[in-house]
Amino acid sequence: MNVVPSVCTFCGVGCGIGLRVENDRVVGVEPQPGHPVSQGQLCAKGWSTSFAIDAGHRLTRPLIKEHGRFRPASWDEALERVANEFGVARDAAGPTAVGVISCARATNEDNYAAQKFARAVLGTHNIDHCARICHSPSVAGLVRTLGSGAMTNGIADIDLADVILVIGADVTENHAMIGARMLRAQARGARLIVIDPRRTRLARLADIHLQPRLGTNIALLNGLLQIILANGWENSAFLASRCEDTGPLRHHLSDVTPERTSAKTGIAVADLEEVARLYSQARAAYLAYGMGITQFQSGTNNVIAVSNLALACGQVGRPGTGINPLRGQNNVQGACDMGCLPNVYPGYQDASALAVQARFGEAWSVTSPVTPGLTSLGMTRAARDGALRALMIIGEDPVLTDPDQNQVAHALGALDFLVVLELSMTETARLADVVLPAASFAEKDGTFTNCERRVQRVRRAVTPPGEAKADWKILAELAVRMGYPGMDWEDAEAVFDEMALLTPIFSAMTYARLDEHHGLQWPCDAARPQGSPFLHEERFPLGKGRLLPVTNVAPDECPDAEYPFFLTTHRLHFQYGGGSMTRHSPLLEREIPAGLLSMHPDDGGALGLHDRQAVRVRSRRGELETRVRLTDEVPRGTVAMPYHFREAPCNRLTNDAQDPITHMPELKACAVAVEGLPAGEAPNAEAGAAEVIRHVHS
Amino acid sequence: MSTHELAEVERLRRHLAQSRRLYEVRDDGQGGRHWQEVGPKDFTPLEPEGDPPPFSAKLFFFAERELLFRFDGGQFYSSLPEVRPQAIFGLHACDLQAIAYQDRFFAQDPHYQARRHATLLVGVECRESCSNGFCSLVESGPLVGDGLADLVLVRRDDARGWWLRVGSAAGAEAIRELRLPTNLDGCQATRESNAARVALAQLHDRELLDGVAALNAGQVSADTWETLGTHCFGCSGCTQVCPTCSCFAPLEQVGASGEVQHERVWDSCLYEGFQAEASGHNPSASPGQRVQRFWLHKFGEPFREQFGHYGCVGCGRCDRVCPGGIGVHGVIGEVGRP
Repeated sequence: MNVVPSVCTFCGVGCGIGLRVENDRVVGVEPQPGHPVSQGQLCAKGWSTSFAIDAGHRLTRPLIKEHGRFRPASWDEALERVANEFGVARDAAGPTAVGVISCARATNEDNYAAQKFARAVLGTHNIDHCARICHSPSVAGLVRTLGSGAMTNGIADIDLADVILVIGADVTENHAMIGARMLRAQARGARLIVIDPRRTRLARLADIHLQPRLGTNIALLNGLLQIILANGWENSAFLASRCEDTGPLRHHLSDVTPERTSAKTGIAVADLEEVARLYSQARAAYLAYGMGITQFQSGTNNVIAVSNLALACGQVGRPGTGINPLRGQNNVQGACDMGCLPNVYPGYQDASALAVQARFGEAWSVTSPVTPGLTSLGMTRAARDGALRALMIIGEDPVLTDPDQNQVAHALGALDFLVVLELSMTETARLADVVLPAASFAEKDGTFTNCERRVQRVRRAVTPPGEAKADWKILAELAVRMGYPGMDWEDAEAVFDEMALLTPIFSAMTYARLDEHHGLQWPCDAARPQGSPFLHEERFPLGKGRLLPVTNVAPDECPDAEYPFFLTTHRLHFQYGGGSMTRHSPLLEREIPAGLLSMHPDDGGALGLHDRQAVRVRSRRGELETRVRLTDEVPRGTVAMPYHFREAPCNRLTNDAQDPITHMPELKACAVAVEGLPAGEAPNAEAGAAEVIRHVHS
Repeated sequence: MSTHELAEVERLRRHLAQSRRLYEVRDDGQGGRHWQEVGPKDFTPLEPEGDPPPFSAKLFFFAERELLFRFDGGQFYSSLPEVRPQAIFGLHACDLQAIAYQDRFFAQDPHYQARRHATLLVGVECRESCSNGFCSLVESGPLVGDGLADLVLVRRDDARGWWLRVGSAAGAEAIRELRLPTNLDGCQATRESNAARVALAQLHDRELLDGVAALNAGQVSADTWETLGTHCFGCSGCTQVCPTCSCFAPLEQVGASGEVQHERVWDSCLYEGFQAEASGHNPSASPGQRVQRFWLHKFGEPFREQFGHYGCVGCGRCDRVCPGGIGVHGVIGEVGRP
């Protein structure tokens, strides 16, 4: 038995784990007491890592679909097929007809390779990943107010705060070790305030829980700001020296009153005043938020409203403060940093800037594409319209995770060619023409970047099962077949070194230095060789911070007579994403076997439902069956579903109304109807799934 | 049982490592501390003090994932582990007490016993209390109880050399070739002063005993348990690291050829599904009930009577690993408060 130091592969916290290896198999994990992020603790997902990557359920050979069924194939045949299909699509309709959706779970090296493959080999900026549906509004919003979209502070800053304000984030379930740190901070005397329409665990443990109506974030944040300004609680010195004129914002808020805010949000005036006072008067207030801010059609403006509040109170640019978007996936920060976004090259270098295009064109010995790229939802739409012909999806499962499942399945079905790189057979992989077996994080070297911008090493602990390979290696072999020799790297470190050479914010990083420092937080360059634990101490990337007036926008679809409930979506502590890893744990799977719908007991009573009864849930886009759980975690009139379960995929119901700036779909709010199924009847996992099933076999 | 003089503890380690796999706790330089294999040519000095590693030695015997049998569609094939002689070097008294507890629980388990019989246990008696430990209050340390280890190291007060106490015939056999001189001069006095020093340092933890009394007297209200239960994330960390936790669940995997592999894997009673019955009924339906149940298993008198010892050996690992702050100090330390 030996233990290989690595980083957890689930959420964006980036906990340190040791992989316990016996006979070339990961049999368990252990926490690392000296790890700066996790300090010797893990959540249920992390503890279950060995099941997630077990060889028993993994893809071990390339698969090619013929007549609706997969057959095993050699790498040679499968890669030749992929290269041909992409070549045919590109020759027929140009480089804009092909695209890549990369993976926020894969390493930086894989992601660097994916965007290089798209830009240098396919010749397109059609490269994106799931940050689109988690924190694209954070990037867009904070770029507008500060000039940079990542967490401004680190996780350890929680230890230094005297007020912690959490908005729309279920931290103990989704970022458990950050939640744990917040609870420790509360135990030593910090005040913990949670704003969430759901009564989450953290909300129940908080000193103050504000429970706003779904979709009233901006009204609430503007209301808090108005109270702060009316009482002179703002940080005038900070505003004067660090921010642009606040006149327009003050004018914008002139007709807001605490009473109007209260009426709009459903929160008592006294509670609003208390939170406004605590946050603004704190010596150091740490603000963290999650998808309860971003997953709305007003996502970018929601983020701007958050930023306004923090800037007005001067709670940025010091230890213990900050505007901190809690990122979902283990390497979603890294996938963004690596340029798996249509509009930027690695390190957020503008893909439309001629100088940047020239720089990468020269480094990669290609002519850089100039046509702007499509987002992931843009690619889905283009596929539906026939404009996108061939698509590669690396390790993502949009059939479960993207809004309006029937439309997604329809779009993927309309492609001429779909190739999926995956660990195991997912709902999306079932739709593919070719499936390629990928190595898991325990089977390859590389780096992950956690949500506080800390780049950390993962190490090969065991051999990949069967013929599985690292994503970057698959892409490199494909590039060679398509006539591009520039991706023929020796190893993962060589990929990293090439990336660091072309990415200024990573320029002082090497594997050796990452090992020495327990990871390094970017920007890490000649001026800051030790990395940057927190940002914006002296100035913002924009120079001065901007407080921008924003107005509340109601969700696109609100409850009515036909669909009387608000549906919101969330995640469970025990599951991750589409469940393709966590659901292989017999212990996690036993917790909540096939999904659920949370409903307030009063609503359940009114509908005559009893706990655990099977129900049908319908929206304008589709329907499914699941079991109801009667709980006061949700307010009356709002029901909630997790998205992990293929048997009850809430994204068959959700609305793809989008934020106009980032195309973030409004996953947090739509309208549904709920009806009980006859007593004794079990939910049917295939109810409403016809569209998906149809495309699996086509 | 004899006591010997040992000038250099690393010499003993090198000797033992020649004929068996030897494991010792080491830092990995990346924040981890774990049992690592140490070869016969390793000269790294032993660091006997400090906090125990995140994992006790239970995983050497009660494997976290154990193949019990295979089924090929026609026939069952039982599976026993391939064992090789091994030594666990530098076990603290608390962990040795826990092994004795597990030995009783798994007395009839062939997988556990196969590994256990192939293992030499080498203890080391602590001279200082570790940061969360309270072994002296639950009678599991710092002195290693009789019969709990094959060999026990006791450091001399001047830190120049050691005594080596032999605790079993296997221990005597393992060091026979070293021909160590017998010497017990001062050993007992040193041990007694170690025990007194550690007990004094752990005196402040006496409130834990009030908590144990309240727990057994049923004086802890359901509300208190539910409040504690809200802090339980259900991560399973406490049961993973607890050296006396022994629950497991089945895992069946069907291979491509239809062969079924039946494993047992570590389970946790803090999971809601642990006691859930097929009907949907759950005797420990709420998180508070599950937290209560866990601690009753650690400190309940009926369990103490059955196993001859508390199910808690005072190692403090649960305090370190619990994200909700409800390790032993967070629970037992609280429920005894008036």
